[in-house]
Amino acid sequence: MTEPITVVVVDDHAIFRSGVKADLDSRVQVVGEAATVEEAIAVICAQQPQVVLLDVHLPGGRGGGGAEVIAGCGDVRQSTRFLALSVSDSAEDVVTVIRAGARGYVTKTITGADISDAVLRVASGDAVFSPRLAGFVLDAFGTAAVAAADSELDRLSARELEVMRLIARGYSYKEVAKELFISIKTVETHVSAVLRKLQLSSRHELTRWAAERRLL
Amino acid sequence: MRPPLLRSNDALIAGVCAGLAAHLGVSLRAARIGMVALALVGGAGVVLYGWLWLLVPTAEERRRGVATPAGLRLGAPVLAGAEMRQGRSFGTAGGREVMIGVGLLVVAAAFVAQQLGVSVQWGWLVPVAAVALGAVLAWSQLDEARRTRLMDHAGATRAEGVARLAAGLVLVMVGLLILVSGSLSWEFTWPVLLATAAVLGGVGLVLAPWGLKFWKDLEAERAARVRETQRAEIAAHLHDSVLQTLALIQNRAASEQDVVRLARAQERELRRWLYADTAERTGNLADRIKAVAAEVEEAYGHPVDVVSVGDTPMTPRQEALVQATREAILNAAKHAGGAVSIYLEAGSAVSQVFVRDRGAGFDLDTVPPDRLGIRESVINRMQRHGGTARIRSSDAGTEVHLTMPEEEAGVPHD
Repeated sequence: MTEPITVVVVDDHAIFRSGVKADLDSRVQVVGEAATVEEAIAVICAQQPQVVLLDVHLPGGRGGGGAEVIAGCGDVRQSTRFLALSVSDSAEDVVTVIRAGARGYVTKTITGADISDAVLRVASGDAVFSPRLAGFVLDAFGTAAVAAADSELDRLSARELEVMRLIARGYSYKEVAKELFISIKTVETHVSAVLRKLQLSSRHELTRWAAERRLL
Repeated sequence: MRPPLLRSNDALIAGVCAGLAAHLGVSLRAARIGMVALALVGGAGVVLYGWLWLLVPTAEERRRGVATPAGLRLGAPVLAGAEMRQGRSFGTAGGREVMIGVGLLVVAAAFVAQQLGVSVQWGWLVPVAAVALGAVLAWSQLDEARRTRLMDHAGATRAEGVARLAAGLVLVMVGLLILVSGSLSWEFTWPVLLATAAVLGGVGLVLAPWGLKFWKDLEAERAARVRETQRAEIAAHLHDSVLQTLALIQNRAASEQDVVRLARAQERELRRWLYADTAERTGNLADRIKAVAAEVEEAYGHPVDVVSVGDTPMTPRQEALVQATREAILNAAKHAGGAVSIYLEAGSAVSQVFVRDRGAGFDLDTVPPDRLGIRESVINRMQRHGGTARIRSSDAGTEVHLTMPEEEAGVPHD
């Protein structure tokens, strides 16, 4: 058996932190907890965990919540990956924390086994997309494969579009792979590419979409 | 149908031209040009305008149920109207007509006096008339609410307020008249104006900090009131929803399914309240699908997650799509159990819904023919409205894929 993945849980509710700790299985080891932005930055810098489970809304700091934690951990960001965990449905929260650098977004209703899988996936450098996040991506980038976009970053390829659609329909990565006759690794590559586009795209429609939802 | 002839609020003078334009279906500009042209033909336009002004009611008067316009009630001499309204405030209907009548009487009296040999000071009368006319016009531009507010602000509803207002107006008018009528030569006027401006400026400077503080206090108080109202609204909402649900959960702690159901319903309600703008509740397709999903979730206690992309207004076809979706979700909740995932992709050309469950699956061919649910309510309904339904089922779960294209020529539609 390989070494367990080290995790820091950041959430301002103690009940939720203990719930997550109880849910995570033996492949994951919790090495620290934090309840505020300052605590989180301190613990993450001291422990340098492989993965941080990060609540989007946190007290403290300048009110920036999870995104501020990611920004504040500048120097450990090479080794530490962030997985956003939230009860929030709003596009604003999702997009803010993803664009700050989180590798995925899952809602807090996720079950214990799923959350361990998600942590492992993020630790190995892949992205974790919930159906809802896939829905946001499709909403932001549009559901038609646009041939004449200005830059590679500003559109989804036909294959990425297919993968996003299946995830939005509730398929797991394994089911997506089976459906499209590709390997899970290829699915993960597509999802990571989409995540990169979501983080870096300056697509004008993404801007407009965000503006409509008062994100910018 | 032609709109009724009413004087408009969008008025240069009394809204006659705008009302005429709306009534006759011509442009406002054309109506105004026509009126001016008529006025140049021996003053016919002026007479017509005055006549319409008196006879045609404003929209406001019509709404208040004034069957005949003010002018007709003045069929008896103008002053009878004034007597009828004695004791009422100046702003009520008819006041304007009284003013016009009085003005006309004064002009007529002046003419008669001149005929009788009295030398009339036209140099005085013209500025007086101009100022009075201006005041009447300004007053008549205001609507009822603004007039009332203005009267309130100026204290014109109380006796001493009226006196103060009248004194102020008289002083302003006298000042203007002296300036305009030229009793003061212009060499005097400039220094006087300068001195007045200096005094007013000085007073303004002295009063400015006080005024600013007053204004800031007012703003702070208003902000505090808004915050208090918001807090009360949030408290009321939390009390009606979250606290009630928490109490229920404590009561039903023994039944796991009840607790989960209560928690899900409350979560959904709170989410809608927190994240959806009231303005965004459109009644469009995405809203309807979410409502249907919530309904089934409520009834069966299995979580139903909806992810929607895009939106489109409801049409009879979209209505059929919603009904078929509802049936598919019902089927999934009833037979498969567990979580159901809905994905809606709505566009202007085609709308698609995927309903996925993780139950044991079934074979459509083995469903007995008397079971209407899936065959009649989903597949046939979609086909009747020009859409399609495909069902894929395996031991890993079932997915119903509904496609509804937008209206197009040549597709039969009932």
